[in-house]
Amino acid sequence: MLTLVKLLQSLVKALHSEGTPGQLAAGIALGAILGLTPLVSLHNAVIFALIVMLNVSFAGALLGWAVFIPVGFLLDPLFDHIGHQLLMHTPALTPLWTAMYNMPVVPLTNFNNTVTLGSLVTALVLFVPFFFLFRWAVARYRATIGERVKQSKWYRAVTASKLYNVYRLFKPE
Amino acid sequence: MSARIFRWRAIGPLLVFLLISGVLWWLLADRIARRSAEKIGTAIVGAKVEIQSLHIDLANGDVTIRGLTVASPHEALKNLFQADELVADIDVLPLLEKKVVIDRLAANGLRFGTPRETDGRVPTDPRASVSGRVLNEARDWAQQFQVPALQLATGKIDVGTLDPRKLSAIPAAEALSARADSSRKAWQTGLDSLHLGATVDSATATLARLKTARATDLAALNEARRAIEQLKQARNRVTTLERGVNGGLTALRAGVAGLDSAKQRDYAFARGLLKLPTLDAPEIGLALFAPSAVAQFQRALYWTQLAKAHMPPGLQPRADDGPPRRRRSGSTVRFPRERALPGFLLRTAELSFLLDPTARQPKRYAGRLTGLTSDPAVYGRPTLFEASAPAVTAGAMLDHVHATARDTAGATIQGVKLSPMHLPSLPMTLDPGQGTTQLGFALRGDTIRARWAIRSSHVQWSRDSAVQASSGADLLWRTLSGITDLQVDAGVTGTLSQPRLVVRSNLDDAIAARLRTMLGEEAAVAERKLRAEVDRQVDPAIAPVRARVTTLQTDVTKRLADQRARLDQAQKDLEARVRELTRIRLP
Repeated sequence: MLTLVKLLQSLVKALHSEGTPGQLAAGIALGAILGLTPLVSLHNAVIFALIVMLNVSFAGALLGWAVFIPVGFLLDPLFDHIGHQLLMHTPALTPLWTAMYNMPVVPLTNFNNTVTLGSLVTALVLFVPFFFLFRWAVARYRATIGERVKQSKWYRAVTASKLYNVYRLFKPE
Repeated sequence: MSARIFRWRAIGPLLVFLLISGVLWWLLADRIARRSAEKIGTAIVGAKVEIQSLHIDLANGDVTIRGLTVASPHEALKNLFQADELVADIDVLPLLEKKVVIDRLAANGLRFGTPRETDGRVPTDPRASVSGRVLNEARDWAQQFQVPALQLATGKIDVGTLDPRKLSAIPAAEALSARADSSRKAWQTGLDSLHLGATVDSATATLARLKTARATDLAALNEARRAIEQLKQARNRVTTLERGVNGGLTALRAGVAGLDSAKQRDYAFARGLLKLPTLDAPEIGLALFAPSAVAQFQRALYWTQLAKAHMPPGLQPRADDGPPRRRRSGSTVRFPRERALPGFLLRTAELSFLLDPTARQPKRYAGRLTGLTSDPAVYGRPTLFEASAPAVTAGAMLDHVHATARDTAGATIQGVKLSPMHLPSLPMTLDPGQGTTQLGFALRGDTIRARWAIRSSHVQWSRDSAVQASSGADLLWRTLSGITDLQVDAGVTGTLSQPRLVVRSNLDDAIAARLRTMLGEEAAVAERKLRAEVDRQVDPAIAPVRARVTTLQTDVTKRLADQRARLDQAQKDLEARVRELTRIRLP
């Protein structure tokens, strides 16, 4: 229940943050990478650092992460298949994998795991479409029902919570 | 206003986050590494791996493990081994490539086969884990061996049912009876067709006429001569008939003798119904010690096959199960490359171990393991293990460098306490006590050659009180309980798909001899019973036939003799009267 409330909170905050639709969409797209790929991987540390360091919506990233976690679980068989095809059944790529496998640091990304590679490749491929899709969706939302929601009582209740102060640290400038 | 790309004020919190991560790593790294090592070790071995403490000292490249316990995947309450302390000197830089290279490992206080309080085996899915699959394959392999059951515990001989339809004497008697009847009829017809009564009557009438005839009555004399000739012809016919009867009687007597032979065959058939247990020594060796021997070979096969699964030959990319996690594990693919570091390499391990750790003064030995690696083709040398001491010789070589893996292992341990063995089929347990055990195992591709032997001169026997006592078991107990020496040799040759098992022991001949004695008496009693049963079923059929043939013989012989006598008498009387009439009388 608490998770659901937090998800709702981050959704509301993200949609009504001061960031532009582009910042929000970039945050959601980066968060989608976190959600689609297995979390404990080195590449996700890089994604997390990008979310923190780049001027994108942190709440959007949280939203993207939260929304795409179940999607990741659901699509794991597909990721496994894609990873298997890339790692085992694409001879042209074998020299690349072999070089990466015997390279410092790179193996720590678990790129040689079928699910990790399949999900990362999928997430990276979808990153740009996601960005444009979410930018359009946020702009449409703000132009249509966003202002009415902002005036509602429950929106003010959500934004008044203590978590909102923490969130403000990472809101887009 | 255009948005800036970087959020500089987030650097502070990010650094704090990194700092917290570092502190957490410093605090939890040992625990995380210990749990990971336990998890990975359990997955590799197929049984619980427990570690009391693990400490990583990255600055010095040391990892220290204390209180390592590896459970046996084959025995519920036994450990494969325990180690007091393992100190590994690791290369730090390969860790950046996610490769573990241990330059030197010192293992102290290794103890093998120690007892444990809980079942250390882990339920493994043959489809999901390598160890589960290999365990299943080794189990299937062991189940190929057909171990004969030794029915000694009760010493009973099973007697099958005697089916009268399968006895040969009864139909033979019926056939002989029919032949006797037909012979009787034939001979009767033969006698009737001789018309001896008319011939004799005619001769008698001729004789009566001759008594009143004169010497000059030539007609009477000629009639007498014709009658004599008819009598002679009749006697010839009787002789011919007699010859045929004699032949027929001889055949009937042979038939009666044949009934005796048929009865002997029935005795033999009945003896075949005695289901005697095997008395061959090799079969007894198999029945007694095959389960123990096969268990040893099964374990050796499990470890070599497990080694082959985790140390496969060749440089081709290969997929293993991915790490266990909430998300799908997937497969983790390794890409070994020549002149690169293997994923795992233990260059040298110095092993200090105790044998017979429960003894008052356990003996301490030293061993050495070199070149244990996950990528033998990359490392380019086989894995070697050796341990030697006055009473211990052990060595192993896992050569997976080339396409065809060659695994050999051998160990001889003297003066070690051997595990008690419950002998299948026998209601007793054998405790070899201290003795010598040898195991040799070679697997080259699919070809297996293995040998297991134990020697002991302090064997102790104990009876299984749960099994019901029997005379056979008593006899065997008296035989075996006096034996203090034990020599068992078992071997497997052939291919993994078609192995051949041979087991011999010094108990085989003793048990076989005792069985022969024991079963000889029992078999004689059973055979007597079966003979009586054969007699009961066959004699009522044979006796009347035998009597009928005897009666027929007596009857037909007597009748022929009577007829011959009548003919002879008639001829004699006629010839005498003719002589009397034709004698020349001088005045």
